[in-house]
Amino acid sequence: MKYMILTLASQQDYQELAGQPSARPSWTQEEWAALGAFMQAFNQELLDSGELVETRGLSAPVHTRRIQLKEGVPVVTDGPYAEAEEVLAGYWVVECESFDRATQIASRLASCPGPEHVRARAYADVRPIDERQPDFEG
Amino acid sequence: MLAAEIEDLLRRLAPQVLGAVVRRYGNFDLAEDATQEALLAASLQWPKEGLPDNPKGWLIAVASRRLTDLLRAEQARRRREDMVTEWALSEHRARPAGERGPGDTDDTLVLLFMCCHPSLSVASQIALTLRAVGGLSTAEISRALLGSEQTVTRRITRAKQSIKDSGVPFALPAPDAVPGRLEAVLRVLYLIFNEGYASTAGTTLVRVDLAEEAIRLARALHTALPQDSETTGLLALMLLVHARYRARTAPDGSLIPMADQDRSRWDRDAIEEGIALITAALPRGPAGPYQIQAAIAAVHDEAANTEATDWPQIVALYGVLLSLDGNPVVALNHAVAVSMVAGPKAGLDLVQRLGSDARINADRRFHAVRGHLLEMAGDPAAALESYRAAALVATNLQQQRFLNRQIARLQDLLAAT
Repeated sequence: MKYMILTLASQQDYQELAGQPSARPSWTQEEWAALGAFMQAFNQELLDSGELVETRGLSAPVHTRRIQLKEGVPVVTDGPYAEAEEVLAGYWVVECESFDRATQIASRLASCPGPEHVRARAYADVRPIDERQPDFEG
Repeated sequence: MLAAEIEDLLRRLAPQVLGAVVRRYGNFDLAEDATQEALLAASLQWPKEGLPDNPKGWLIAVASRRLTDLLRAEQARRRREDMVTEWALSEHRARPAGERGPGDTDDTLVLLFMCCHPSLSVASQIALTLRAVGGLSTAEISRALLGSEQTVTRRITRAKQSIKDSGVPFALPAPDAVPGRLEAVLRVLYLIFNEGYASTAGTTLVRVDLAEEAIRLARALHTALPQDSETTGLLALMLLVHARYRARTAPDGSLIPMADQDRSRWDRDAIEEGIALITAALPRGPAGPYQIQAAIAAVHDEAANTEATDWPQIVALYGVLLSLDGNPVVALNHAVAVSMVAGPKAGLDLVQRLGSDARINADRRFHAVRGHLLEMAGDPAAALESYRAAALVATNLQQQRFLNRQIARLQDLLAAT
């Protein structure tokens, strides 16, 4: 079975991560380095165990383009976000034996280093991927 | 023999076995499946039972047996579907028994041309090349490309189908078609190499395996075409760039710019080999873009540090590259090199002229280089604006952090004056 592990973040979180001078407190070089080292090891472990299908990080919400119908006509809007609104920030697709195993993988993210105020609010979701299983093996 | 050595041997033999089987029976599509199964059987059997006396002969025999089964199954299926079709050896395959077929290196070449056939999408070309010539399994390819196995399988299946439909014979393209087709092969190998350096999720996975696989394939191509200067140039370029990979990444996965790299960690053997290759290729005639890029990499690799780099030489090489390829990023690199020789103002003049190009105006690198040169030219206020413009269009956190550090530093500097 495949599962998706999702992490969420707001534009504000992104600005702190990017070290934007106006967004204080931003991540220090040491905190950033620790995050990178953690993710590197986390991904490598999943790669080695053969459970990683793919992983991606998304750019800040400000780079979003939204397409929606307005009076029946598709309209494109640039960067439609509220500063504090949390949107998808990154994901892993893992293929493993059970939901519990996927949960176990995701719970390792709880030890991801970072500033305390970020760690206090952070969470990850695990969701089974909707894949149609064969009704019978012929 | 160690498992890793066996794997190495199998990967080397993969295109040779596939070539032999396709030449004998045709049907690239099923021959490829049969070869994969033979490789798999060998990887399970050989570590336990030891190498057969003739590993390649063993693989060809097993693949041929498997192919016969597959062909029978397909024939039966067709009969069931009531299609009166025949598979027969086509003209070019039905050679007189005494006639010798082409050698192994030619097989690798034919396979590369086939996998990089213009009717396939670039993504399919990459996947098929890794599998048919590189001997990687679908699972390994999907792991290397960080794509799902289903997608990779589908790409490979579709690619094989369109090769089948196009009726491309298992032979070298006509001589007048070779240069164009070779260009496609070189591009695919170059893309595989670059894919090895792709980054993801705020961290970098330098997928060394993929970069090394590209080098292995480029080496095989170079063996088949030792006189082709661009092939030599591409192999040299890969070696000269990959030589720096250990020094290129910090423990946290962030990239270290060349000026700050610990050059004692560069791979001297790879540099020596790359320099020997490019030195042999360049005098042979008009140099193409891969050779010029390799020459630039060689000049960097030979220097003990940034100051000792032969910048006039690099400026001249970028000048040649620009005349071959009007890419604005090349023009930007040229401007940086010019500033190292003639000062920031000379570099800035060139950068300003690029600003009218819409492609580069939306590019982070343009604004970052402009900011760097403006600061060196003594205009921190204008530099700050450029860095701000760069941070606005940057989409990668690592790069944003670098730019924001410059912004904070310049803000402090301006506030203090």
